[in-house]
Amino acid sequence: MLRRRFIVRQITGAPRQCAVFVLCVALSIVSLVALGGFSESVNRSVLRDARALHAGDIILHSHSEFSPGLMRAVTELTRGGRVEAARVWEFYSVVRGEGESAFLLANIKVVERGYPFYGTVALASGRPFAQVLVPGTAVVARGLLDRLHLHVGDRLHIGRATPVIVDVVLHEPDRPVRFFSLGPRVFLPAADLAALDLVRPGSRVEYSMLLAVREGGDIDEIAARVRSQSRPEQERVETYRTAASGVKRFLDNFLFFLELLGIFTLLLAGIAMQSVLTAFLREQERTVGIMKALGATHRRIIGHYLVVVGVLGLAGTLLGIGSSVAAQAVLANLFQGVLPPDIQFRVSGGNVLEGLALGMLVVTLFTFLPLTRLRNVKPNSILGKEEASVRRGMPYALVVSTPFFLFVGFILWRIKDLRLSTYFILGAVLLVLATAMAAEATLFVLKRGRARSFICRQALRGLFRPGNATRPIVVTLGASLALLFAIYLTEQNLDASFVRSYPPDLPNLFFLDIQPSQKAEFGTVLGFPTEYYPVVRGRVAAINGRPVDPARERRRIGDNLGREFNLTYRDRLLDDEAIIRGKSLYAPPTDGAQVSVLDDVLKMADISPGDVITFNIQGAPVDARVTSIRTRTQKGIRPFFYFVFPPDVLKDAPQTLFAAARVERARVSAVEAGIVSRFPNVSVIDVTETIAIFAGVLRRLSAIVRFFTLFSVCAGVLLIISSIFATRLARIQETVYFKVLGARRRIVLEVFALENVILGLISGGLALLTSQAISWVISTQVFGIPYRLFPVASLLLAASTALLVVTVGVLASVSILNQKPVAFLRRRADE
Amino acid sequence: MHVLEAIEVSKVYAIGDRRIPVVDRVSLSVLAGECLVVAGSSGSGKTTLLSLLSGLDKPTSGRVRVLEKDITDMGEDELAPLRNEGIGFVFQSFHLIPSLTALENVMFPAELKGDLAAHTKAQSLLRRVGLTDRGGNFPHQLSGGEKQRVAICRALINDPAIVFADEPTGNLDSSNGEAILSLLLELHRERQTTLVIVTHNAEIAGLADRVITLQDGKIALERQHAP
Repeated sequence: MLRRRFIVRQITGAPRQCAVFVLCVALSIVSLVALGGFSESVNRSVLRDARALHAGDIILHSHSEFSPGLMRAVTELTRGGRVEAARVWEFYSVVRGEGESAFLLANIKVVERGYPFYGTVALASGRPFAQVLVPGTAVVARGLLDRLHLHVGDRLHIGRATPVIVDVVLHEPDRPVRFFSLGPRVFLPAADLAALDLVRPGSRVEYSMLLAVREGGDIDEIAARVRSQSRPEQERVETYRTAASGVKRFLDNFLFFLELLGIFTLLLAGIAMQSVLTAFLREQERTVGIMKALGATHRRIIGHYLVVVGVLGLAGTLLGIGSSVAAQAVLANLFQGVLPPDIQFRVSGGNVLEGLALGMLVVTLFTFLPLTRLRNVKPNSILGKEEASVRRGMPYALVVSTPFFLFVGFILWRIKDLRLSTYFILGAVLLVLATAMAAEATLFVLKRGRARSFICRQALRGLFRPGNATRPIVVTLGASLALLFAIYLTEQNLDASFVRSYPPDLPNLFFLDIQPSQKAEFGTVLGFPTEYYPVVRGRVAAINGRPVDPARERRRIGDNLGREFNLTYRDRLLDDEAIIRGKSLYAPPTDGAQVSVLDDVLKMADISPGDVITFNIQGAPVDARVTSIRTRTQKGIRPFFYFVFPPDVLKDAPQTLFAAARVERARVSAVEAGIVSRFPNVSVIDVTETIAIFAGVLRRLSAIVRFFTLFSVCAGVLLIISSIFATRLARIQETVYFKVLGARRRIVLEVFALENVILGLISGGLALLTSQAISWVISTQVFGIPYRLFPVASLLLAASTALLVVTVGVLASVSILNQKPVAFLRRRADE
Repeated sequence: MHVLEAIEVSKVYAIGDRRIPVVDRVSLSVLAGECLVVAGSSGSGKTTLLSLLSGLDKPTSGRVRVLEKDITDMGEDELAPLRNEGIGFVFQSFHLIPSLTALENVMFPAELKGDLAAHTKAQSLLRRVGLTDRGGNFPHQLSGGEKQRVAICRALINDPAIVFADEPTGNLDSSNGEAILSLLLELHRERQTTLVIVTHNAEIAGLADRVITLQDGKIALERQHAP
């Protein structure tokens, strides 16, 4: 009973420090638990019905017409009554209203009767999709009507056909999330496919076939049978259970990135937690010394404080779990318009359990060191004797490094990818170390500085007050703000380079799927010379005889070898290319094909000159020896190809042509109209418009990322508050002595305020420098755009940091400023 | 029986490259039931000697035996039972645990021992020192004299063989100081506890069985008083 009362009173005796500790624990887990719950809710609501998500039991997929063997297998099954089949063609094409001059790139989906076998295509009229979409009609997205100023009943020009718009699509079962699309949806019946005249050899079309297995049929057996007749290097046969939805892949990737941010917040909040507990235990040293003098063993003392920490940790964990519900609501709001409106967000029992485990793990990790240091408190410390110094050596090194290794293990467990985990740990450690070193250097200079003003001198001394967590504050705030600033600066640079002023030397119109036979006439209609890039679709089947597993490749995060590539042929380097390995683009002609590889491919596989890559080019295997590795000397929106062959290898392969042109803004519509009306199979992409769409998506994504980064900023704020409480006695002492010696309250306030201004400027300044460096790297090395500093915005960011720190610092110091000297001095005499 | 022995103990503090001997080759022994006063001016090494004799600190050289056990090389956890049951402490600054009431402070060493009668014993001791009504108060609610009486009760609850008192009246006014000293000596006689008092107060020294005077870390004078 005494023990319980003792624990309770130790907590209630330091309410502020304990409250800050609880908040740190809550903060460390809130984003991860919110993400876990959000992800679970999305999976449950959006992705739960895997059949509806794929609109069929078995999904066949290819980038070219299905092979005869596969078609035979499907026909046999349909004739035998075992399955129903519906084909789907999906591609982009330019559309316009009848008589209208405005064009729009639209996402065309041509479907056979039966689609979708599961789920419903919801229409504005409420009528059944199968009844509405008949030959000669089109069902379109609302956005298309708005942008082309059309209505239901108007005609739409698509290719060589002019179907009547009969309804508006509200929701598709196999595309529940509309995050990024180059154009609005248009549904057309398969009976009109030939009339469109848009699907030609080499056209960029996604071919799908959905199979609905009759009741009682064995889905896996039928899928295996179809698969045995397919060409695995170019055709995929999956069931609704095994197929990876593009929607799911996108959400998984984005949520994974947010999880990384959540782990970073956990790290910073953990640093704050450790600092808070260190300050709390420092105040307990006298009590610990007394307990040891009275015969308490170290084990007993550790057990006592483990319970204290455990109680606070549990409270923080429960608060974190509760807060994650609110955070989920904010997240849902940020994704509004992208996810279906009827999605239900809730926290499951599994989430709660995971949150509890995570909270306790985090508390264990970051309280390990401060608790271990209790061993160093000697009982004779209460006699004011010199404390025993901490014995360094292997045991000490082991104790200090244990939490680090545990944290590394934690990251490996969450991220589940060794390479990414390593990058993340290195990145986070680098950021924290860089900030710490810069902070150390700055404080070193400040400590030796000679300020002329009294207030400035006192404020600087305050930074080095024993127990002040100046360094952890600067590191936590600096690192978290560096991330926030970097996101902002990168976004601003992308905006300035692409959205507000598209670079004058880059092409702004891309022309896709030009048939070779159309090249001459295309050039005439275009009216000016341009470069044509032949495009041959193909896949990487093997490297040095080792087959590439497409399914395994597709599970990688980022680009992978499991997809189809645009191959090309030419006999020279482009202006923005350079060879980094190999003597020249190609070797002297020998037996066998050659290929030059772009260095970006090396991120997907270890390839060197001399290696042999086996390509599957529309069913035909081609072994090509790697002759060189190229790199792009200028990044940006310019045409580039991962694999380039000598002309003699691919010039006779089925192909289309791709062209890119720079056209004055005022002439874009006229050029588009001229090309589309003469060549309806050619897709024209207005890059500036596409970039505007992309910028909108980027802004939305940035808003979500910034929301999560704010949590780590909060960790820094908590640390400031904790530091002020930890040094409360020293600050009160200073206040009292100042007052006793004749200083007005205003002077004391100025000293405290200036101390926090300096702290804020150091944190903000370091964050700015670091963020400028990060943003410069991302802008110039990843996106290949010129870098701008945005000095005004940057200075405002640093000033805002100083304002934040001074506000928090002064508010937390108000009670200290009101201390009466006589009360304090009497208390000290009693002690 | 010698309950306390110090054999050529020294304590040297190193500050930078200077070595400062605070206690310099002190040897003494204390009999069971004896009241020993360690006297000396400020800085003579009295408190340091007390911390060495009680096991709160380790000597740089020499040996210390308490209750016939050599405690010189014992670790903290090994010393814990001795501090809990064999030794009681009364400090100049009281050193009560601020988050425990007076009664709970007294109970604390007995609770550590697992004594089920801790509450009863603590109440009895507080009654003995006239603080029955103050058991529920926290240290900051007590006067200096009251705090010291609580500290004395705490030191005695486990019936230790030895009680060390470091300037027990140092922070008290003369009236309170006299009262505390009387109490200490009374309890020492009642329980036949060995009492080692560190003080610079000559009056206290006059009440002991034996007085050792330290000067510059060494025993300068030793006087035995007549029983």
